[in-house]
Amino acid sequence: MTDVSMAAVVRPTKPKPRPTSFLIFAAFVAFTIFAARQVNFEWSTFKDIWVSPLWEKFWPIEWEWVARRENVFDPMVETFQIAIISTIVGCTLALPIGFAMSRLTTPNKPVYFFTRTIMSVVRAIPDLFWAKILVTAVGIGAFGGSLALTVFSLAVMVKLFSETVDGADPRPLEAAKAAGGTHVSAVRTGVLPEVFPSFVAYALYVFELNIRASVVLGLVGAGGIGRVVEAQRGFFQFDRILGILVVVFVIVVIIEQISVALRRRLL
Amino acid sequence: MSIAESVEEVGSPQRPEAPTGGRRWVIGIFVVLTIGAIWSVRAISPGISDVIEAPGEMWKIFRAMFPPAFQTEIDRGVVGKVFESLYIAWIGTIIAALISFPLSFLAAGNVAPRWIRYPIRQLFNAIRAVPELIVAMVLLAVVGLGPWAGALAIGLHSVGTLGKLSTEAIENADDGPLEAISASGGTWISGMRWGMVPQVLPTVISYWLFRFEINIRASTVLGLIGAGGVGSELSSQLAFRNFPQVGAVLAFTVALVLVIDTISGFVRRQVITGTGRKVDGGHTEVLFEDMLGSKLAPKT
Repeated sequence: MTDVSMAAVVRPTKPKPRPTSFLIFAAFVAFTIFAARQVNFEWSTFKDIWVSPLWEKFWPIEWEWVARRENVFDPMVETFQIAIISTIVGCTLALPIGFAMSRLTTPNKPVYFFTRTIMSVVRAIPDLFWAKILVTAVGIGAFGGSLALTVFSLAVMVKLFSETVDGADPRPLEAAKAAGGTHVSAVRTGVLPEVFPSFVAYALYVFELNIRASVVLGLVGAGGIGRVVEAQRGFFQFDRILGILVVVFVIVVIIEQISVALRRRLL
Repeated sequence: MSIAESVEEVGSPQRPEAPTGGRRWVIGIFVVLTIGAIWSVRAISPGISDVIEAPGEMWKIFRAMFPPAFQTEIDRGVVGKVFESLYIAWIGTIIAALISFPLSFLAAGNVAPRWIRYPIRQLFNAIRAVPELIVAMVLLAVVGLGPWAGALAIGLHSVGTLGKLSTEAIENADDGPLEAISASGGTWISGMRWGMVPQVLPTVISYWLFRFEINIRASTVLGLIGAGGVGSELSSQLAFRNFPQVGAVLAFTVALVLVIDTISGFVRRQVITGTGRKVDGGHTEVLFEDMLGSKLAPKT
């Protein structure tokens, strides 16, 4: 009896860490220090940032300026227009491409690999790079912005949608093929009804993302509310920018509530 | 009786009528979308001829990027700029991890009291609402042009999403170990250290890596406003319409993003499952939820 209770008191020895763990940790620390030097890391910034005279420029928010129609309301309408058209076009294009990118519904291997490769390159280029390039191509303004957001919507949508299709039930598709349907009609009747609610849910989500993205798109001259942000940045009018951010935040929250309610009905 | 006859006897299979209710919905949504599209197109498009010419213009620019002028760009030091983007993202992610991890313990419902939980959650939400480019814009004015402003901007912005995700990880953890520690007389701190951190660390590290992947994309963009990295090179080459050089910059950026995604994905799976193999899991959705701070529908 006594030996058992004695044995329980003895603490088990701690397992020794593997030597590779030390190596990984050392490499991690070394890389971090090196990277910190490369970006001119400075501790003093964390102190200076609190006492910067710049903060006075943020407050109070100039609400009269924000309330004026041409300052925030009209560009916000333009933002909505950009977001609507790019969501519609981007998501419509994403429907066939998303099907081609899924192992389940792809017409053949070459198409599968081709679309996957292209879309992963498209996704690897950041959204603002797209905006910058497309604005250079078609000129500054809302049109370039909507092209950029169309590409962005497409990139996000095909990724989410093709993974949903991957997870779809393969049996209706097999049944439709066995009954002699062509590839397109088999996908349309066998898979589309199952994944369409998710498609609509993702489209609402993409719309939200597009509204959010429009705040920064203006920095590269792509129209919408971002154009106003960019102009006010030039004058260091951070109080106005903060006002715009508050308006956008409220709008995004409202859209989020609506689309969460809609999604709950759909799914 | 042959098969054909027996079918004939029953009569050709009647197709059931399609339900009418759904059709009306579809038409309604279609009309709304069309009106929305027309309203938007009329306001945005500079004219029908420009819309028709746009694909041609885009194709022309795309063609002009080939062959990319790799040598010119390497001579201009683009490789260094690409690496600068990598360093910015790395330091930004580390700053965000160091700030968000302790804070998320104070925001989690199962381990923190209400009075501290609530303000910290609101802080996370407020931070998430401000895009990193806006943060960078402000910081540029405080710390001056250069990569440090970019790294700090990415770090501060990422605190919002990382804080939110780590808080959720903590809330989903098992309370058993915490109870055991407090029953044997441990303090709150030792409960967190021995009961909570070991449970949530793999998940939280995978979130950090996710955020690192997103931050790589963000840091390449920061150069467009002068906060360091490869974006400034793209910006200046586009301004002069040197498309072969633009093509080279894009190629380097894509290479960076894809390489980092691959490595980080491998490490993430290693951390979560102990092997580098791919596993099924709705991680992409977390990635996109995180990307601009929005919330995706619950998985069905």
